[in-house]
Amino acid sequence: MDVSFAITGKGYVIVAADTTAARSIVKMKTDEDKIKVLSPHLLMAYSGEPGDTVQFAEFVERNIRLYHIRNPHGLRPQSAASWIRRTLADSLRSRRPYSVNLLLGGYDTSEHAPHLYWMDYLGTMVEVPFAAHGYGAYFALGLLDRYHDPEGSLEDGLATLRRCIDEVAKRLVVAPGQYKVKVVDKDGVREIAL
Amino acid sequence: MSRSYDRALTVFSPDGHLFQVEYALEAVRKGTCAVGVRGKDVVVLGVEKKSVLQLQDPRTVRKVVMLDDHICLAFAGLTADGRILIDKARMECQSHRLTVEDPVTVEYITRHIAGIQQKYTQSGGVRPFGISTLIVGFDPHDTRPRLYQTEPSGIYSAWKANAIGRSSKTVREFLEKNHKDDMSRDDTIKLTVKSLLEVVQTGAKNIEISVMESYGKITSLDLSQIEAIVAEIEREKEAEAERKRSRLAATAAGQAAMFAAGESSAQ
Amino acid sequence: MHAFAERFSTNGAAAELRRAKEILGEDDDVSDVMWGSSGGFGSLVNGVPKFAVPSVPDPTSFLRMHTDDHADPSCRIKIKHGTTTLAFRFKGGVIVAVDSRATAGSYVASGTVKKVIEINPYLLGTMAGGAADCQYWETYLGIQCRLHELRNRERISVAAASKYLSNLVYSYKGMGLSMGTMICGWDKTGPAIFYVDSDGTRLKGDLFSVGSGSTFAYGVLDQGYRWDLTDEEAQELGRRSIYAAGHRDAFSGNTINLYHVKEDGWKFIGNYDISEMHYNGPGGADGYGYDVRVQGRTSANPPPEAAAAQA
Repeated sequence: MDVSFAITGKGYVIVAADTTAARSIVKMKTDEDKIKVLSPHLLMAYSGEPGDTVQFAEFVERNIRLYHIRNPHGLRPQSAASWIRRTLADSLRSRRPYSVNLLLGGYDTSEHAPHLYWMDYLGTMVEVPFAAHGYGAYFALGLLDRYHDPEGSLEDGLATLRRCIDEVAKRLVVAPGQYKVKVVDKDGVREIAL
Repeated sequence: MSRSYDRALTVFSPDGHLFQVEYALEAVRKGTCAVGVRGKDVVVLGVEKKSVLQLQDPRTVRKVVMLDDHICLAFAGLTADGRILIDKARMECQSHRLTVEDPVTVEYITRHIAGIQQKYTQSGGVRPFGISTLIVGFDPHDTRPRLYQTEPSGIYSAWKANAIGRSSKTVREFLEKNHKDDMSRDDTIKLTVKSLLEVVQTGAKNIEISVMESYGKITSLDLSQIEAIVAEIEREKEAEAERKRSRLAATAAGQAAMFAAGESSAQ
Repeated sequence: MHAFAERFSTNGAAAELRRAKEILGEDDDVSDVMWGSSGGFGSLVNGVPKFAVPSVPDPTSFLRMHTDDHADPSCRIKIKHGTTTLAFRFKGGVIVAVDSRATAGSYVASGTVKKVIEINPYLLGTMAGGAADCQYWETYLGIQCRLHELRNRERISVAAASKYLSNLVYSYKGMGLSMGTMICGWDKTGPAIFYVDSDGTRLKGDLFSVGSGSTFAYGVLDQGYRWDLTDEEAQELGRRSIYAAGHRDAFSGNTINLYHVKEDGWKFIGNYDISEMHYNGPGGADGYGYDVRVQGRTSANPPPEAAAAQA
């Protein structure tokens, strides 16, 4: 039931995810943060099998942090994405794979460009200008093909995100109520209230 | 037994010594000196830097390393052994955050490091780590600075100020004489540099100073800052010597005057 | 964590290796992990709890086949479940309230079950799902909390304790554990509640209810909840919410057990009979039951003359 979106624009990536944690028909929590800040310029939204999601996200978080402490320079988004994809792919071939879908948004401070990677639990990875997971994808992708602007300002990007969220709220039966929105750009990561 | 390799190398001598561990301590004594000093709300690590060769990149030689945002470690002894131990400690710092959701305390990571060192004195096919470490930092939600030491045997202990490595005995004795509780930031740094100068003849360019002021706030002094402190210490020494000389001169003059007065009164 | 699960399985390569090692009498495969936060010094040496998994090729499907009383009412193993438990945080600490009925299939196995597990004087765990699973693992958690205390000279945080449990059950994910529990307590950060279940989900929050009756309890709880409840109001809210579930949910009922966690640890407030609550309320006050509450009130709205004629 998780819904997550990500949109790139001129020098930034917006990552948004709903904040509900549900178990069968009950919403256990409505303010759960499903976007991890992996490094000063890297965000990861995760969704999928309960339990697996948080375990995997925290595992990735700690490993990226360890890399930062061990090495004088942090991982660039491309490298982090490759490592995460590989971890998922290895897990898929283990006795009990992680069922986790990811959106990885980062800002490469050395080439001054935002990067967005769409990843699923099978270890598929593709770099895209915008992305979505969950039921939201069925509504948002067509919309984004029509409205996304790779050179859009942050305001434009947020307006497009709002379109996605409104569309999902309008058409999806089990639409989530609230979203958490985070942005990564040259200045790092920050949260934005929609 | 075909598993003969799988026996501890560290075995007791008949009189109860573990020679391998003592040799490891010897390796520590040959290593460059490291000093840790605790102040009121600051803790300072100072190390003696070996001069790098002309064509060597000095940035690749590090003796003070971060284990986590709030913990810093300096070691004396075999650098290569240090690297392994540091890597294990860093891993544990992240593992601890993952499993307990809190950063490690300084004591915890010290105990962990000492635990690894101890294990290498009692396991098959391995030799002890040839390093002692000084571990400084702040516990989460706490303002008190911490300073711990570990040894190759796996002993660990907390200190107000301590030194390891070459001539550590001299430095420790110096610290014992000059350490005061609740020193300010500047006094703590100065004491660290001063104590290092006891054994580092070449002065500022072979000293590296790291200052931790609160949780996660750490700075390394650059060469000019250290040179300034060294210069100040020199000046103070100079002034001290000057005072001594003038005092000596004064007493000599006083004695001479007294002598002269005595003579005149005798007349 | 996968490696962790592997350690206890009775089939597969790891188990073969273990058996071989047992035969050879080798037991010194001590890894660094044992010095670490994932176990602490030495505690993993003999493998954490020896937990027997059915020695069949696929324990998961075996268990599912024999325990699923929804698909097959005549299944051989009927796991005790059907429960209402709740916990919430407010300015005066944490209230924990549970019912006391244990059902196995449609049979009420017991009416006096203790569904609050007293882990230590500062930590409570609640029990929903498999009774045995909760009881065993939360008691085990109590042991680990005590060891943590001894090793680190300070009490374990609620976050750490709940995470320990969550990691543990996660390592058995898909192997048939059934637990839905709240770890409640007071630590340096103040009152805290974590929801942990056998999927491996772990959520921090202010208010949770778990079990088949949870929806009924939520109805009362959500509407009556405020952060600044007084202690008495909060205890009453906990009682009323469990009563609601006990009344409406066939698998919950009998009595209410009520706990209050404060800075100096938890306190047992009392045991209340749900039927008694229906008619008389606690301490002989007003009963909670709908018909008791609305006695003498009617929705009939006759015109005045008809009312007069009736009278």
